[in-house]
Amino acid sequence: MIDSGLDRRDFLKVLGWGGAAVALSGCGNTSVEDGKETVVSYVEAADYVIPGIGVYYNSTCAQCDAGCSINGRVREGRVLKLEGNPASAINRGRTCGLGQAGVQHHYNPDRVREPLLRHGDKNEVITWDKAYALIAEKLSGAKGDEVAFLSGGVSGHLKVLLGNYLDSIGSKNHFVYEALAPAVVRAANKKAYGVEMPRYNINKAKVVLSFGADFLGAWVSPVHFSQQYAQFRKGVDGQRGVLIQVESKMTLTGANADRWIPVRPGTEGILALGIINALGTASGDIAAAVKGYDRARVSKETGVPPGQIDKIAALLKLRSPSLVLAGSAAEGYAHGSQNAAAINLLNQVLGNVGKTVEASTSVPFPQMAPAKGNTVALKSLNDGLAAGKYKVLFCYAANPVFTAPGAMKFKDHLAKAGFKVAFAHYLDETALQADLVLPLDSALEDWGTQVPEYMTEGAQINIQQPLMEKLHANTRGMGDILLALVKQRRAEEYKSFDDYYAYLRGAMLLNKNALGGSGADDDTFWNETLTKGIVKLAGSAGTLSGKASAAGLTLPVPSAADVQYPLQLIPGVTASLRDGRHANQPWLQESPDPLTTIVWDSWVEIHPKKAAELHITEGDIVEVTSRSGSIRAQAYLFPGIHPDAISVPLGRGHEALGRYAKGYGANPFQILDAVFDQETGELAMHETRVKVSKTGQRVVVVKDEGAAGGKQMGRKIAVLVTTDEVDLSKEA
Amino acid sequence: MSVSNLLENWAQFRHFHPIDDKPHDPYKWAMSIDLDACTGCNACSVACYAENNLPVVGKEKYQHGHGMHWMRIERYWDEGLGVAGGSDFPDHGAQFLPMMCQQCEAAPCETVCPAAATNHTADGLNSQIYNRCVGSRYCSANCPFKVRYFNWYDYPTTDNVWPAEMNQQLNPDVTVRSKGVMEKCTFCVQRLHAAKGTAKNEGRLVHDGDVQTACQQVCPTGAITFGNLVDHESKVHKQWQSQQVELDKDAQVKDQKEGGSGLRGYRIFEELRPYPSVMYLERVRESAI
Repeated sequence: MIDSGLDRRDFLKVLGWGGAAVALSGCGNTSVEDGKETVVSYVEAADYVIPGIGVYYNSTCAQCDAGCSINGRVREGRVLKLEGNPASAINRGRTCGLGQAGVQHHYNPDRVREPLLRHGDKNEVITWDKAYALIAEKLSGAKGDEVAFLSGGVSGHLKVLLGNYLDSIGSKNHFVYEALAPAVVRAANKKAYGVEMPRYNINKAKVVLSFGADFLGAWVSPVHFSQQYAQFRKGVDGQRGVLIQVESKMTLTGANADRWIPVRPGTEGILALGIINALGTASGDIAAAVKGYDRARVSKETGVPPGQIDKIAALLKLRSPSLVLAGSAAEGYAHGSQNAAAINLLNQVLGNVGKTVEASTSVPFPQMAPAKGNTVALKSLNDGLAAGKYKVLFCYAANPVFTAPGAMKFKDHLAKAGFKVAFAHYLDETALQADLVLPLDSALEDWGTQVPEYMTEGAQINIQQPLMEKLHANTRGMGDILLALVKQRRAEEYKSFDDYYAYLRGAMLLNKNALGGSGADDDTFWNETLTKGIVKLAGSAGTLSGKASAAGLTLPVPSAADVQYPLQLIPGVTASLRDGRHANQPWLQESPDPLTTIVWDSWVEIHPKKAAELHITEGDIVEVTSRSGSIRAQAYLFPGIHPDAISVPLGRGHEALGRYAKGYGANPFQILDAVFDQETGELAMHETRVKVSKTGQRVVVVKDEGAAGGKQMGRKIAVLVTTDEVDLSKEA
Repeated sequence: MSVSNLLENWAQFRHFHPIDDKPHDPYKWAMSIDLDACTGCNACSVACYAENNLPVVGKEKYQHGHGMHWMRIERYWDEGLGVAGGSDFPDHGAQFLPMMCQQCEAAPCETVCPAAATNHTADGLNSQIYNRCVGSRYCSANCPFKVRYFNWYDYPTTDNVWPAEMNQQLNPDVTVRSKGVMEKCTFCVQRLHAAKGTAKNEGRLVHDGDVQTACQQVCPTGAITFGNLVDHESKVHKQWQSQQVELDKDAQVKDQKEGGSGLRGYRIFEELRPYPSVMYLERVRESAI
């Protein structure tokens, strides 16, 4: 204090500013002198703001679409930490690592802060008025069907507003693209059960047989499933649930299985039919369909020993109800729909439908339900772009330049769009191709509603509200931007809404009675809604309508070895990086991959036996080449992978995005072949065949695992017992 | 209390596992971790970064072993994997183990500190006093669990550790450590202090459930239980009791019973007699498949 030459007056100013920082909530990045005229002392502090005491606000996690409710700790106007909201039936007070990192999305130093007009590689900072005027100008020169909007899985009021905006333009071109959405499984479920995403009761199952569904890692609603899993392990009547995981590359869920079965890539459906055959309980057309799938044949085609198939069948027979899941590993093939259908058929044969597979509830406002889509939508957009069909393209919550399979040449086709607008948090690969980049508020600064695809008991609408004042003056919420844009075209209709908050509040109050607020006055209802962060609804329970049938079920015989490209590439989906949109959050980069313990880089998982064959050792930089391109990454010898496959994790290999993402690792999306599921037309993510060659370079793999390579060297550190050695019923 | 006084009368200040004249009263913080529930998802580790101002050191420093994860997930494979006579594949999955400071009652790190920077608190924590630490790193060398992390750099002033805005996330309840000091898991001592303060104001003791560590609160499967071991109503006490694990014993019933006890509670490196405050419950695998 004395050293810095502050006198008493300056010192008091600093203290005063401390008070203002609270009143204005988090302007800590401004200097002491800025805004001194608005200095307000703590005498007039907002309600509940006490220096040193945390205040908690409920909101919704936006790191993925699962819709976990969060509770943010705010102190002196800054959000510090996110916890789960215990009142949510989805996550019940818990979060995942990805959710924890949500604060790093908000405070990220590489966020876009100003509207940018891009001229080649140069950015020109412009005003919002100019940006809006530019959009209006470009739209005036385009017909409705010359305008396209690409988005991720939007839901809630934002989806409604987006729909209205496109309607006002006269465009029907809304393309919804989520690169890792389980699109094929949804279609197969719709056929088998009558709903795209039924409710799975892992906690009620005595045996879970999962064909590559990484429900503990990154599949559908992992935090919810993790809680079900904990109950499942405790068991019904003291009988602990048994998890069997069938997949060619070990996922986090596979690593927790009682029995992990490395199946030959693409033969998941054959194994499912083999198990139906071994059960011997099916009749009619199902029995006829599985007749040919005897032990010997199934074992030969899948690589699973005959004894193992018998054991699985015996256990499934003995312990009922069970649950069979079809996940991303099963759907990722040209016959992915057939794989998923065979797996769902096994569920039906076992009589699990109605017990562990139940009808999902849906919100009574179908217009708010999440928009879904995957590569079919992207392909259609890509074709339109290639044909030069679009004069104006909007892009929100998707980064197709990074995630589109290389064979699609999306980046080249994107250049043919007349005027490209990206709504962005970061200058990601897609934003760099845009003509206009509009900076978005972070999820912790913005208003919104979110409806999750996967509902638990009852339905819910999640509320997203700002946990603190905006960090950057010139970012805007997506809702506010859409409202401003729709006002350009339908000013009269929307004139009563000053901002998106007013729109949201108005829309919620309009349906107050349906949202459980009948009788309450508007302010009470609204304040309660914000306090809870969740609107719980009775929801309408759907019904499962599907009928077990083997009609149309044909599984191809595994293809013969490809001499030129002998290995199957399995793009790994990790719980923390997923499709790579959050790769600029340093906690996620430094959080070791649970299975390989590698940080900050990509790797090529290869089975030790195959590696020995190819003379590859750990740390060798290898080139992975497909028909569509090649990438380089360090080799990691990994026992949890089929010797005929290799795996490279998705999410890294950014050429842009930010300082923590750019230049780290390789992007396997780039080398994916354009092979599609024959029924749904979705991308067959696991169908790319590759060859691996050494480059002669070698690096030290940066990982947490010690020199012993995951062996305990006889010490009792992490101890394993079998169920016959313990008595779980007496535990506290 | 001068350092020379501390050093001369070290035995007097050093607090062993509870002995008659110094019982843990009214608090003894302890944990139990169910390895059958733990999925190795790493949420606890990230939550610890968020709560405790842990620096992200970057790839190069991580390679040098400078990663600062107070809570880390260790991943082990079966001993038989890949060896002659064993399987080529991890047929029973992997084994995950959340590892952090075990808050030992007779902590090997405490006896070797030349500055008495790490010592035992009355409520059973192995505390680290940053401004007393001189950076000898003897404690880290002596820790059998390797859970002590040294600040080789001044991370607050290192590029891209906490650049502008990112620094606003720092938890004001937790010190941001500077170069040359050792740090480790504290059982979220800032949360314990807050809970004890609240309880004291209300004229009561901290009840079970009043306070959660960051890793416990986030855990998607609820694998981590934390609480006051001397509170007979606490879940952690009940778990330790039902597993017959006793804090001040160096051999537990589980290991002594011939033909198996049906219990699965154990402490790591019990034979070294550090008397850890963390009990693990063995991972279970189905024998029928």
